[in-house]
Amino acid sequence: MEETPPAQWRMPERFTRPETATDEGGLWALMDREETRLRRSPFLIRDAALQARVHNMVCHLAGAHCPDVRVYLMRTPFFNASMAPNGMMQVWSGLMLRVDNEAQLAAVLGHEIGHYLARHSVEKLRSAKAHSSTATVMSMFGALGALGALGVAASFSGYSRDHEREADRISVTLMRDAGYDPTQASKIWENLLLETKANPNARTPNPLFGSHPAPEERMETLAKLAQAAPGGASQEAEWNDAVKPFLRDWLADEVKRGQREESLALLNRMIARAPQAAYFFARGETYRLRGAEGDFDAAVEDYLAAAAAGGEPPETHRSLGTVYRARQQAPAAKASFQRYLELAPSAPDAAMIKSYLEEIGI
Amino acid sequence: MRVSTSIGGTFVAALLVVASSAAAQSKNLAPGFSVLPKGARVVIMPTDIELFSISAGGVLEPKADWTEAASRHFRAAMLEKKQDLGLSTIELTAQQADEADEVNALHGAVARAISIHHFGTLALPSKQGRLDWSLGEPARVIQNMTGADYALFSWVRDSYTSDERKAAMVAMAVLSLGRVVPTAGGLQTGYASLVDLKTGQVLWFNRLSRGSGDLREPDKAKETLEALLAQFPGTK
Amino acid sequence: MRRLLLIMAVLELAGCAVATKIEKVDSGPQKVGERLEMTLDGAWNHFQSAQIAPARIWTMEGLPVDELRVFAGVKSGEAIDAGAPVVGGAKKIEFRAGMQPDEIVAMFEGLYTKGGSTFKLDKLEPWSFSGEKGFRFEFTFVRKVDGVVSLGVGYGTVSKGELFALLYVAPRLTFFPRNKDKVEEIARGARLKM
Repeated sequence: MEETPPAQWRMPERFTRPETATDEGGLWALMDREETRLRRSPFLIRDAALQARVHNMVCHLAGAHCPDVRVYLMRTPFFNASMAPNGMMQVWSGLMLRVDNEAQLAAVLGHEIGHYLARHSVEKLRSAKAHSSTATVMSMFGALGALGALGVAASFSGYSRDHEREADRISVTLMRDAGYDPTQASKIWENLLLETKANPNARTPNPLFGSHPAPEERMETLAKLAQAAPGGASQEAEWNDAVKPFLRDWLADEVKRGQREESLALLNRMIARAPQAAYFFARGETYRLRGAEGDFDAAVEDYLAAAAAGGEPPETHRSLGTVYRARQQAPAAKASFQRYLELAPSAPDAAMIKSYLEEIGI
Repeated sequence: MRVSTSIGGTFVAALLVVASSAAAQSKNLAPGFSVLPKGARVVIMPTDIELFSISAGGVLEPKADWTEAASRHFRAAMLEKKQDLGLSTIELTAQQADEADEVNALHGAVARAISIHHFGTLALPSKQGRLDWSLGEPARVIQNMTGADYALFSWVRDSYTSDERKAAMVAMAVLSLGRVVPTAGGLQTGYASLVDLKTGQVLWFNRLSRGSGDLREPDKAKETLEALLAQFPGTK
Repeated sequence: MRRLLLIMAVLELAGCAVATKIEKVDSGPQKVGERLEMTLDGAWNHFQSAQIAPARIWTMEGLPVDELRVFAGVKSGEAIDAGAPVVGGAKKIEFRAGMQPDEIVAMFEGLYTKGGSTFKLDKLEPWSFSGEKGFRFEFTFVRKVDGVVSLGVGYGTVSKGELFALLYVAPRLTFFPRNKDKVEEIARGARLKM
């Protein structure tokens, strides 16, 4: 299929609110109510600085549509961003953790803005209805069970391949116009593929992708589109500074997903790019919790690397203590637990760790 | 339960109060409660209503116009009720709703518990068949914000068969030579609850759960709303 | 999210009915499993369902509000979520002999956060469970489905290689403050048969 060069796409005029009696109106109103819930959600990231940073980015990308967009950062450990037809955008912490730089985030957000500008959601709803009617007709002459199944239309996952292509094309244009380096767009999918391929039980669709389908074709297409429009910034240092305060929480969330192979692939990549204590600690935890052959050794190596790098989370020493204690290395366990208590005297489990020290003895 | 004023009003009211505590308490009313004081101020918490259409193939589609109409009808019915009963009502601003959010969420959990355990089949023996749930003191947040004595919460989810689905259903019935019986359409499920803002006690609760009803047209909606507000306490 | 709404609507109607029932709780001490004896003082109701095995659940205000979850003698290699339906290839959460308190708490965290809810440990300390060396912990739990913020408290021990634990979770407003002392009494009164 022939790709429309980015230059031919023109940004549409700002949208007006559709009549409530239309299908689009129904979607808008539903998303308005969803937005109210989001605003009150305990999972909303309320940090003003990060909120402002991402909002400015989105504004810049959306150009004339900026006044219509509202951005919500959510603490959810999956790679996803989505934009509803009423201008509400969600950006999940799993995505913000995974991008190497601002340009990569711009690629994903630009992609979502692309769906918004091209009004794909409404097309999807209409298409779902049309296809479902067909299904009913078929079921009359076949399995009757299909009639009982209730599907839900108002979700924004599962765009068609054509929609995804169009959104990708638009994202490259938006990136370029906002001064970001479009070659970063294909990099994201490259990175994500590394992660998902690492999973021995890989299932499709991979939930890591959130609303986006698997990406080999897209990587190639995006790379080609970017070549046609080289140049632009990636803003790596600025982005990493902005997310540093959140890394501990987001990495902890990632480890809690329990997808060890995916987490290792991600952390290996992050350490290769920019080694720092928080990454080493997270990888150490991943090894320790997986506990396969050789994993405890790898975990200890990582915890020591975190401590060497400096600024390590105090839990690094607690985890070291846990491993040493399991191996009956009493003096090492003792030293580690003590270091933990020094660094975090009012940790929630301080009393428990003190009792471990008593057990180990003098 | 309406108070008849043909005989001395207060006397009758007193009799009725006594009578109602002696007789079995309605499933919708908390123990010892039957009427609201005249002039009681009730804040209407933002109704959580969503109406959906089910297309021929069973795709649930949100319908903003239906939902907005249903919200309007609900408000209109409340207005009628309020005039009948001599209550004064207050509506929350969006900002007040934000501030009351945790209490609202708490109420949602309690309402689900009442739906499942008081109206459903999984009764809690310790409640002994009584409507006995309370949000506690946190309900005062709403009282302080609005000056109201009571709050009315409501939640409705409803889906309706579209014409095409109705046609498909009929065709199914015909093709299957009557073996497949067309269902009326969607589920109408919801609740309304009246809470004493000083104590947090749920004074009145009604649950709706059926396969019929219509909130879209004012006349048909009135029936649904009467059903939802069944046994809503009178005033004295 | 829409699917959730539908599920909730259906739950409203069906009352979570999947071969479940709720029974009255007798006063006085009662046996829970082979080795645990507890006295449940208060208006408790015993919720029975194969889906929560091997745990047992008691509730005062109803499942959407509060729950007291009891594990009585989980053996090494046994999953604490044995009865739960398997979703998308997720592994069962297995108890292993030799687990330290922080690892046991991490297991409970995994159990409670399955649907995307969050769990934050607020305290973990040594505690005597029926005279045995055990632990007590406190946590904050935010339910994904409705955003209700709950507080939790847990008491546990491993005795002769078997895990015993009580966990109580209730909304931070009204219900947890009201009931936490009662739950602490229940935990203090728990007796293990050796």
